[in-house]
Amino acid sequence: MKCESCNKKLATVHLTEIVENEKKERHFCEDCAQNVTNHFPKAPSPSDILTSLINQVSPEIREMSKTTCPVCGLSYLEFRSQGRLGCPMDYNVFKKGLLPLIERMHGSSQHVGKVPANAGAEIIKKNELIQLRKELNEAVEKEDYEKAAELRDKIYELSGNVEDGD
Amino acid sequence: MEIKDLSDKTGEWLRGTGKESDIVISSRIRLARNIAGFPFLSRANLKQRKEIESLLRTTIVESNITQDISYVNLSNATPVDKLLLVERHLISKEHAEGEGERGVAFGKAETISLMINEEDHLRIQVIHSGFELKNTWETTDEIDNVLGKSLNFAFSARFGYLTACPTNVGTGMRVSVMLHLPALGMTKHIEKVFNAVGKLGLVVRGLYGEGTKVSGDLYQISNQFALGKSEKEIISIIESVIPRITSYERMARKALVLESKDQLEDRIWRSYGMLKAARMITSEEILQLLSQVRMGVNIGLIDEIEMQTLNELFVLTLPGHLQKLQGCELDSTQRNIIRASYVRKRLDGL
Repeated sequence: MKCESCNKKLATVHLTEIVENEKKERHFCEDCAQNVTNHFPKAPSPSDILTSLINQVSPEIREMSKTTCPVCGLSYLEFRSQGRLGCPMDYNVFKKGLLPLIERMHGSSQHVGKVPANAGAEIIKKNELIQLRKELNEAVEKEDYEKAAELRDKIYELSGNVEDGD
Repeated sequence: MEIKDLSDKTGEWLRGTGKESDIVISSRIRLARNIAGFPFLSRANLKQRKEIESLLRTTIVESNITQDISYVNLSNATPVDKLLLVERHLISKEHAEGEGERGVAFGKAETISLMINEEDHLRIQVIHSGFELKNTWETTDEIDNVLGKSLNFAFSARFGYLTACPTNVGTGMRVSVMLHLPALGMTKHIEKVFNAVGKLGLVVRGLYGEGTKVSGDLYQISNQFALGKSEKEIISIIESVIPRITSYERMARKALVLESKDQLEDRIWRSYGMLKAARMITSEEILQLLSQVRMGVNIGLIDEIEMQTLNELFVLTLPGHLQKLQGCELDSTQRNIIRASYVRKRLDGL
């Protein structure tokens, strides 16, 4: 059966209209059916319902709910429902939403551990600086001023040509 | 080496050697790594999944990380083989139940296992007998360095090693120490350990990790955080906690010997008697019996069994091992019969 609107494609959508007690069968292809059904009031999709529910609970999600990763196509909402990220880029794309989550999970959001050997020299240096600053704070807390001075000199030496921040 | 060669022997980590091995069964460290330029597995298509698997497999095999490396392709392994690998701690339950191209490479001693396409592209795991976190970390670190030379791991200066689940991001490291704590269980002091450990950001899990229940008084203590502390800091936190738990367990054992010697000895000898005489034993029951007997050996009550034999029986009597040993699939009744006869044979002639 061909679509009654365009008369070209195969009709795959079959509607039953009841107008003034008269039943009418109508047959459309998918494309034409879209245009026709646009006139009907649209029921909210499950994801719309979910979004409105989440919005009431967690404002961070409302802000992020429209964000989708351009690389892997994962949306922030999908991440929140599955708990798994889609690609390394998501850490950047969803940063705003992820930061509070990561803080809650790990009690921190700054890596201080191992750095891959083939990571850029800048990253290695930056990471070393973070670790040294942490040690400096600890030394000051313990009132080990000799060690603190030593660490401070190292930090000055290293930070000469590294940009700060994340 | 083939999987069938695994069923009647065990890995190094069950030898019952190493520091505090009366209570600490094993020390394990795993690192989660992903290759930059590929999506994480939940978003990878079949082609990408295959590419990741083949890139990692070739790199691992060519890297000479360990002698006699075996590779098992899990996408066409039988259910019994997969179960056996889980019971050996060479792969995780999730890895066994997963789909698509994935596999595991492990060395002959079974101390090293590299899981490909588990939750992350690569999971490096090293496991040693006893309380040996320092050695374990050194080996893990070295493997990571060797592989990191030819692979480009996804990494950011802010978040560290990037992982599919944000709970692993940072170091990508999970340290797990497996403990046998029968006396703390019996005296109900174990709850106090859970609470204290929780305050330090550590968690207690069952024998097979996340979501598994505790059986045979075996507990795994591991870190919950992976970011904000260096690998060595995380290890030192666990390293400082374990001796407190082991001495607590020893105190509880002493107290049991002092306060209820007869009941304790009766319980241990009954368990030993059951192991030597029973004709059918369920997998749940055997863990309880072995746990009692293991404590009996530790407090010097039973001296005719080697710790290694007991440790091995915890694994060799699991369903996957029994079926592999028998060479066919068995229902639970058949398994209970074979389990009992296998244990009798191992304990016979002592």
